[in-house]
This record gives sequence, structure tokens and C-alpha cells, in this order.
Amino acid sequence: MASLKLPITTDQLVLTAFERADLEALGSYLCMRDAQRYIDGLARDRQDVEAVLRQMCEQINLRRPGDTLTLAMRRKDNLELVGHTCLRWSDATAGQSELRFILHPRQAGRGYAHEAISAMLDLAFDHYNIHRVFVRCDGRNHHSAKLLEQLGLRLEAHYREHALFQGEWDEELHFAILDREWRPSSKIRHFPPRVRVA
Amino acid sequence: MALVPDYPIKTARLRLRPFTRGDVDAVYDYRRRDDVALYLFDVALSRDECALAVRQRISQVALAREGDKIILAVEHKDDKNLIGEVSLIWRSQEARQVELGWIFHPDWQGQGFASEAGEVLLNLAFEAGDMHRATARCGTNNVTSWRLMERLGMRREAHFREHKLFKGKWDEEYVYAILRREWRLSRQQEQSVPINRA
Repeated sequence: MASLKLPITTDQLVLTAFERADLEALGSYLCMRDAQRYIDGLARDRQDVEAVLRQMCEQINLRRPGDTLTLAMRRKDNLELVGHTCLRWSDATAGQSELRFILHPRQAGRGYAHEAISAMLDLAFDHYNIHRVFVRCDGRNHHSAKLLEQLGLRLEAHYREHALFQGEWDEELHFAILDREWRPSSKIRHFPPRVRVA
Repeated sequence: MALVPDYPIKTARLRLRPFTRGDVDAVYDYRRRDDVALYLFDVALSRDECALAVRQRISQVALAREGDKIILAVEHKDDKNLIGEVSLIWRSQEARQVELGWIFHPDWQGQGFASEAGEVLLNLAFEAGDMHRATARCGTNNVTSWRLMERLGMRREAHFREHKLFKGKWDEEYVYAILRREWRLSRQQEQSVPINRA
């Protein structure tokens, strides 16, 4: 795949590669129990966070299937780390990719996740020519589910008690979006909503 | 918990039993057909391939560890005609998950035989097998199969669109599931005697 130009800027954020200096800020949200659900690698202490960070510092492009791209989400004004987002190239022949995101709970409610996911979908479809992006989230995570729906992702699956997670039955949602749904072709005409005539 | 059923398993009209070497022709009679292969991962099979498949199935009669399969021949009680096959795959030992499957000869469809065999699978899974959740999946175009899932009381948990390639085309798939408590409840309700109100 073509080289990726970083950083990516959105209204409020810059998406950049991780750096060694992010250790403290990363640990402050990565060690939270709820944070560990769909993020690679359990992190309990400083050593764990160091290991995760070392890995993520290397994840700066998608070259072959199985690769992950991880970008730090930083506030544009003060470059504070507020979360991160990953794109994993899961299947090359069918052009499939999984998107993950995590936000420090303190930073919720400001539209950061919305901006970051939106930028990642642009990247997946325009830069990496992915056909379908899917996102998993916990069934009880209403904020994430609502956010993904607002972004136009479809709820494709709602698995109930399909696995055990930390000793409890897991409930999992799968959201997905196809390239043509994210970026409809100019050939498709969008008709205005029909006005009901009594 | 391992699952080692006693064979044959009898229902009102059917016998479910392990495959034997004498079943090759009967299996070839439906697996050779394009209208059967259409919905399967395999293409239509040759007689030699059927012989190999039958040989593999002979020993697939119990679940001892995760990944094991039970594949049974379904025959008509009266005339011993082999009308299809059903399967039970142990997907997760920890979370007690099992996947159901079936292939029936088109000449024998539409008489409720698949439902009768499907009930046996659920009974095996949830009673002797002590499973927590049973799933089944099929292409969205395989209407007879997902209608059977619905008749068995399964819920549609997933509708995946273009999530992979299937025989060179975009795949669209349904996943259905039922939990043990849902299965127990629905079967109790069927058996309970209606209360006469004065």
C-alpha cells in the first residue's frame, strides 16, 4: 500500500503515530477495566502499557493482511492524548477491515470519537481501498452504538451470550459499512425525502 | 462436558445414526446436485469425493473436545431411505457453544423431516450436551434453511453483507441462535396443558 501521510487533521484533533513519551497518558485510560474489552493486549501495570505502546509505535501503515494501523488522537490545541483508534486489515481478497477506538472517559461528549472514526473511514475507503469496515462493541455500550449509527454504520449482528468475558456472559454488537455506503457514487441520485400529500 | 449419544436416535418418522460405508451412493445422490451445492461451501461432489466424505463421517459420532463434530445420517424409519444429514460442531468448550447444520435431499423436502431432525439436534445439544447456546448460519438466499431455523425457535442475530467472498461472489449471511433457557421455555409451553377457565 502507498505510504501514509501523517498527521491527519480533523476539526478538533490531529491523528498521529504514537511516541514513547505517551506512556503516562496512555496508561491513564488503558488500565481501566472497561477500556480493555476490544483493544489488543490486556494492560494492568506500567510494564504492560510499555509493551502495548512499543507495539503501537510500530503500527504506522497497512502493508499486508493482518497488519494494524494505530493512530493517537490528540487535541489540536494542546496535543493532549485523548484516545486512539486502530484499523486492522483482516482480509485482503474480500477487502475487509476492522476499526477499533478507545477514548479516555474524561474526554467523552465532545465529538472526538466521531471525528476520529470519520477520518479513519475516509482513510480505509479512499487510501486503502477497503470494501467493508466493521466495528465491534459491547452490547451495553450505548454511547458507542449510538455514535456508530449516527455515522451511518448498520447494525449487522447482535450476539447474545456467545462467549465468556472476564467470567460473565458477553453481548456483542457488530456494525458495518460498505465503501459505496460511506461514499456513494456520484452516479447515484439522492432523491429528497418524499413529502406526504394528503 | 463430552457428548457421546446412544445410536440410533429415533423420532416419530426418522432414525438418526452414524454413517456407514454403504451410504456412499445415497450421499452422492444429493451431494452431486448443483441445487444442493449452491448453498454449501463445497461444490457438487464426485462419487469419489462422497466416498471420502462418508469415510470421514463414520468416526464423527461424539464430541470429546472443542472443534469435534457429530455428523449423522438421517433415514426414513419405514423404508430406510437416506434423506439427508445433520451436524453438531462444538465451537467453544468454555462458553458451551455449538453450531448446527443440515443438508437434505431436495426430493424429501417440504414434509417436516428437517424440523424433526433439527429438534433432535437441539435436544442433544441442550440436554445431554449441556450447551449454553446453539447457532446456525446460511446464505440469505437459502430461504428453506433459515425458515427452518425460525421454526426451531432460533432468533436472527446477524445479517452480514459482503463480509467475505463466497465462490467468487459477495456473500450475504444470516446467523441464527437460541439459548438453552429460551429452548427450555418454548418446549415447556408446547407441552403444558391449557388451563380451563370457568
